[in-house]
Order: sequence, then C-alpha cells, then structure tokens
Amino acid sequence: MFKELDPILHSQLRLAVMSLLISVKEAEFTFIKEKTNATAGNLSVQVQKLKDAGYIEVIKQFKDNYPQTTCKVTPEGVKAFEAYVQALQQYLKV
Amino acid sequence: MAKESTFSEQESLQLIAEMIKKAKGSYHDTGIGSLLWGAVVAIASGVNFLQREYDFKLGFDIWWLVLAAIIPQVYISIQEKKIKKAKLYDDDLVDVVWLVFGISIFAMGFYQNFVPVQTEKFIAEEGWTLMKHYSDGRPDEVIRPFTPSLYSIYILLYAFPTMVTGMVKKFAPMKLGAIATYGLFILSLFTESRYDMLLGSIAALVCWFIPGIILRKKYLRQVSVNV
Repeated sequence: MFKELDPILHSQLRLAVMSLLISVKEAEFTFIKEKTNATAGNLSVQVQKLKDAGYIEVIKQFKDNYPQTTCKVTPEGVKAFEAYVQALQQYLKV
Repeated sequence: MAKESTFSEQESLQLIAEMIKKAKGSYHDTGIGSLLWGAVVAIASGVNFLQREYDFKLGFDIWWLVLAAIIPQVYISIQEKKIKKAKLYDDDLVDVVWLVFGISIFAMGFYQNFVPVQTEKFIAEEGWTLMKHYSDGRPDEVIRPFTPSLYSIYILLYAFPTMVTGMVKKFAPMKLGAIATYGLFILSLFTESRYDMLLGSIAALVCWFIPGIILRKKYLRQVSVNV
C-alpha cells in the first residue's frame, strides 16, 4: 500500500523551499528567492502555506533599517519532509 | 519554478537533490579573515625570528601587530554577517571554536608574561636565584625565569581550530595545514626557541594564509557566477 504524498510538499515551489531550508539552519527570503528563481509574490504565498502547515517558522525583523524575513524549518517540517521522501522512495522503489 | 500542477515522483526527487546541492554550494567563506590572520601571524613570527637571529630591534613589539589585527577582523566579521543570507548548521560550532581559540591565545599571552614575574618573586622570597653556570670557566650569570619553548605550545594551538574547521567544513587545505602544523610542533620540540618562531611563521602560512588564498579564489569565482 503506497503512502499518499503530502499535498503541502508535493508542489514544486514549496518542495524547493523545504529542500533548501532542510539543508541550512536558517535562510533569508532573498536567498530562497534567488535559489528557486521564483517571483517574490508567488514565493510569499507558498511560504505562507508552509508556515500555516507548521512546517516552517517565519521571522520578520529589521536589519540595518531594512525589513528582513528569515525562514527556518520546524521539527514538524523535518518530520513531514522525511515522511515525504520515504513515500517518494516507496513509489520509485529506491 | 512556476509550474505547480503536474510533476512526477522522479522529478520531486531530482528537485530535492538539486535544491540541497544549491544550498550546500551557496556559501563560501570570503577568505579575508584567513588571509589577514595568516599574514599577520606569519609576519610577526618571522620578524621575531629575524630579530633574534640577527640581533636587531624595531622599537616596538611586533606582536602588537597581532593585537591590532582584531580591529579589521571585527569590521570583516560585521561585513560578512551582512552579506550572508543563509546560516548553515555548522557555522555556530566553527565560530565558537575560533572564539575559544582566541581566548586561549590571549590566556597564553598572560601566562607568558605573568608566570616568569611571579616565579621570580616566589624564588626571591625563598632567597635563591636562577644562575647560568658555564662549564668552560666563564663567570656565572643570573638569569630571569622564563617559560621554555613556549612557542611550541602556540604552534600546537594553531593546529587545533584549523583542524576542527577543516573537518567540519570538509575543507582539505585546512586539514592538510593542520596536519603539517602538528609536524611543525613536533619539530619545534627539538629546535631552539628562535627557530620555533620560524616554524610558527610557516604554521601560520600553511594553516591560514594558503587556505585563505584558496577560499578567496573560490569565493570570487562564486560571486562572478552569481553576478
């Protein structure tokens, strides 16, 4: 019996964001935007969805008088990501 | 990254691998810190060796140069923090190791300066003095207490954070530099203290200056790709 793929993660941009954040302790929004080649608007929407799912934490603060948004994956996000990869491996029989 | 609808499981795995690779390869140290400390310590040790070898004075203690390097280092750290957009898991560990190293070096400085003075005081209280007695009949000389071959310990200390950084960051030039420095430490146990200075200078070059050049090249290559 195949596990169902998490719909929150089974989206290209959200999966790209999660894959980036799983590899680092934390990353600025601009870093994620640069690495995913996404538009700021689209990325904001997807980041919000990940945040609502409890998979990432979004910290908004000021750095040198400019607003700075930093994202980091939560323990719940790590679990969901691991489960997603396991499900993928099951599908692909890796 | 605009497509949201259909992407296969195979594509998902490819995307994960690609993003993890991008994240891991996203950050390189600017190398300026390594270059700065490699140059400063190599110059200070090298000049100190030349002073002792050729018996000349500069009019100031060359080691003040090392202390003065803290000012540009603070500036470099602030600038690097500004340009760094992602923090890796091992960044904090490496920062702490170098902080502890800095504290240890300063503690060694205090040890080097206070122990001889205190020892001199204690032995004076006990009513005796350290004498240099020549076996060839020359008159005895009173000598001040000193910490023998102390620079060997400095060389040993140089290797420690370099090895940790090299291992954590999987950066071979630092690992090799640290291994070479352990060799220099062993060699320094058999040499006069002035030659320890020369070995210390080489240690600074292999531990920090040469890896610094490599880091700088990598960083500039990365910046040119991103532009």
